[in-house]
Amino acid sequence: MEIYRHACPRNCFSTCGMLSYIEDGRLIKVSGDAKHGYSQGRLCAKGYAYTQYVYNPYRLKHPIKQNPRGSGNWKRISWDEAYNTIADKILELNARYGSNLAVGYNKFSGNIGLLHYAVEGMFNSIGPHTKPVGNPCLITGEQAMKKCFGRTISLRPEKMAEMNVIVIWGANPAVTNVHQMKFIFQAREKGAKLVVIDPIFTQTAAKADIFIQINPGTDGMLALGMAKLLIGLEKYDQEFTHDKTTNWEEFCQYVHEEVDVEAVCHKTGVSIDVINELVHLCADTKLCATWIGYGVQRNKNGGQNIRAISTFAAIAGHLQEGCGCVYYSHNGIDDFPINLLNLQGPEHKTIKQSREIDINNFPEGARNLADPPLKFLWIASRNPLSQDQDLHEWELLMKELELIVTVDLFMTKTAQLSDIVLPAATHFEEVDLNVSYWHHWLSINEKSIPSYFEAKSDLQIARELMQRLNEKSPGFSNFPYDRHPIDWIKLELTPTVKESYSIEGIEDLFEGPCCRNEEEYPQFSRSKKFRLFSPEITESCPVSEREQNQRAEEKYPYQLLTPQSLLKIHSQYEAVPWLNHGGEQVVVEVSEYAAEKSDISEGDKVEVYNQYGEITAIAKISRFLPRKIVVVNQAGDTPINRLINQTVQSSKGLSSANFYDSSVNIRKWCDENG
Amino acid sequence: MKMVKRMGFIFNLDLCFGCMACEIACRNENQTPHAIRWRKVSRLTNDTFLSVSCNHCSSPECFRVCPENAFTKRGDGIVQIDSDLCTGCGYCIEACPFEAPQFDPITRKASKCQMCYPRQDRGMPPACIEACSTEALRYIDLNTCNDKNLVGTILGFPDIKLTNPSIAFYPAKERKRYFLR
Repeated sequence: MEIYRHACPRNCFSTCGMLSYIEDGRLIKVSGDAKHGYSQGRLCAKGYAYTQYVYNPYRLKHPIKQNPRGSGNWKRISWDEAYNTIADKILELNARYGSNLAVGYNKFSGNIGLLHYAVEGMFNSIGPHTKPVGNPCLITGEQAMKKCFGRTISLRPEKMAEMNVIVIWGANPAVTNVHQMKFIFQAREKGAKLVVIDPIFTQTAAKADIFIQINPGTDGMLALGMAKLLIGLEKYDQEFTHDKTTNWEEFCQYVHEEVDVEAVCHKTGVSIDVINELVHLCADTKLCATWIGYGVQRNKNGGQNIRAISTFAAIAGHLQEGCGCVYYSHNGIDDFPINLLNLQGPEHKTIKQSREIDINNFPEGARNLADPPLKFLWIASRNPLSQDQDLHEWELLMKELELIVTVDLFMTKTAQLSDIVLPAATHFEEVDLNVSYWHHWLSINEKSIPSYFEAKSDLQIARELMQRLNEKSPGFSNFPYDRHPIDWIKLELTPTVKESYSIEGIEDLFEGPCCRNEEEYPQFSRSKKFRLFSPEITESCPVSEREQNQRAEEKYPYQLLTPQSLLKIHSQYEAVPWLNHGGEQVVVEVSEYAAEKSDISEGDKVEVYNQYGEITAIAKISRFLPRKIVVVNQAGDTPINRLINQTVQSSKGLSSANFYDSSVNIRKWCDENG
Repeated sequence: MKMVKRMGFIFNLDLCFGCMACEIACRNENQTPHAIRWRKVSRLTNDTFLSVSCNHCSSPECFRVCPENAFTKRGDGIVQIDSDLCTGCGYCIEACPFEAPQFDPITRKASKCQMCYPRQDRGMPPACIEACSTEALRYIDLNTCNDKNLVGTILGFPDIKLTNPSIAFYPAKERKRYFLR
């Protein structure tokens, strides 16, 4: 039996170190890699199910083509035919429009290994084209953190084990980051208090010493109320606030004049006694970790929420050296050159750069393009027809496209509406390099098994397709297709990276994952100061829009929250039997109030609907859910995202998607005959 | 036969958050077909979970009711089933209070958790134990364990009087909850 080293490439905090056990070229089981200091030899339930993921009867085996699109009339084709069809289309569009701007892609986080930037690299290599920019997930918070701290910060999450207090705002690691829980429990074992603030009584909330339920989107308001009480008690860190913040006086004045604690209690739903208890708990120790979850920024108040929470941590003295920290994300990837992402393509004689579309408004942005319109779309590492918002816009966009190519492992909702679908490799079938957006470990991912039938990695596809393009039109692409995957990895290990991770070369990574050297604590001083919360000047809401909102409130009285499920990541893992026992019906969690109002009983079939569509689901009545919240977990087959619409954002590429700003109503499902 | 050891489980309700890693790690190790769940994680109350497999009872009912004498109890307490002897009559499945023996519709036989004895014989922990990131689930020789904080059963766990299962619990502690009104 052979054993190989891997990193789980899912869009997940943990990016676990993994070992594969291979017999006769077949994956027989997996285990955690004990040399990984964060996941420490363990995986999550999804990770332990990889044998069923790799050898899944629903996995795509060969390139396929359907005609007409959406008919399900699939025909197996050779890679050769696929490459020819795609290359010919790209060349024809180039001849038609005089550039590659009619050619574009949509790619995100299906596999977050560094070599999957091959998709971006492939498009860069043909010169100016149409590309998505931005990030649906966490960028609002990242921007807010930068505003406060002057840069992004991240301490090792293992350090949470040393804290006296851990306050989690809107994150649910018990479901989305299971390996963090042990560090939290280690702190609790030594007497630390865990506080969870969330609108939902999550699995993490259930483990908290203190759970505080809050109205969604009002976290920042609570933090400002806490700040006001802290200042009133004179328990704030005087040295820090006076010497190391840019705007202490201004902040005090704002809090004094604008923050009304009674209003805070009313809007957040948290009582004054509870706010007081929380303030005292946080003020009595410097060793306090504040973890801001991505959930608090999935609404229009996102940036303000995060700046307010960070501000409370700052004035409480939690950011002084040797104290606690604010945890949000780790930008470990910034250490790397990411040569594929930053590949410089050939110049175009008149067009200086690629056209950019905000990824959170992709279909509408794409449909608004003219001269030339978008005609060709390549979709990889993504299932937008299940996971994006504005699905109706996607359907309209697809009608306008002449060729849609999707690379995936399974027949996703998106693949179903594509012309050509190419089978993608799992991480056991390719080499890669992985960092996490949470912990500080760097892992290599080895290839341990031959490709499943004709599956290929994104990089392999890029190499072969670009070579084919050049055969047809010499010099069309400057993709270095002779370069092997392992050499792309070696190129990422620059002298700076080697120093940061104390490694001499790639060989060290084959011995086990390596941790980044401890980052310097964010030192604030008289010259480098923390920027405390100040209200953003927001445009006043026009009357008509306000009226509209009110009307919407009456028609769709419930706010829709759509967190991740334990046994899936977005629409991934749907086809894995071990993770899907007990029926795969969509469940909608409703409050006792909503159930009574709509005459819904436990287990009833109900419709969740709004102006964008409806889905049917089985009702689960929760006595812990706030009255006006409805919860449907992320899943792919009946995507709840059909009901989610994106409000247009002012800053292109700098805001996360406001997934939690949608309103819905519910009703008992009626048979059309009945 | 005198038991040298009494290998069993310790389950800490406070440390389990229902991640199901133990259940799927068991499947990964034993490659069980998907209708079979040797270990099962379930919600016990609104805020606690339970992870249960065969409890390798001191007085196993499966052992008593099996007409083929397919069950044996090893010197370390692990209850094994010999699938060659099993005829799939289902008596053990009916008799077990913990739903430990599971009927495999393909082989038409019962199968169950064997506490990963091949791993234990090599000095390795059972797969479920290895997978538990918070040590909510541990295994131990219960004959050597006399922690006063351990209790024999918890609310919601099947009756232990009949079979005397080899499992002990750390119960959940009280917590503060402030719900919206």
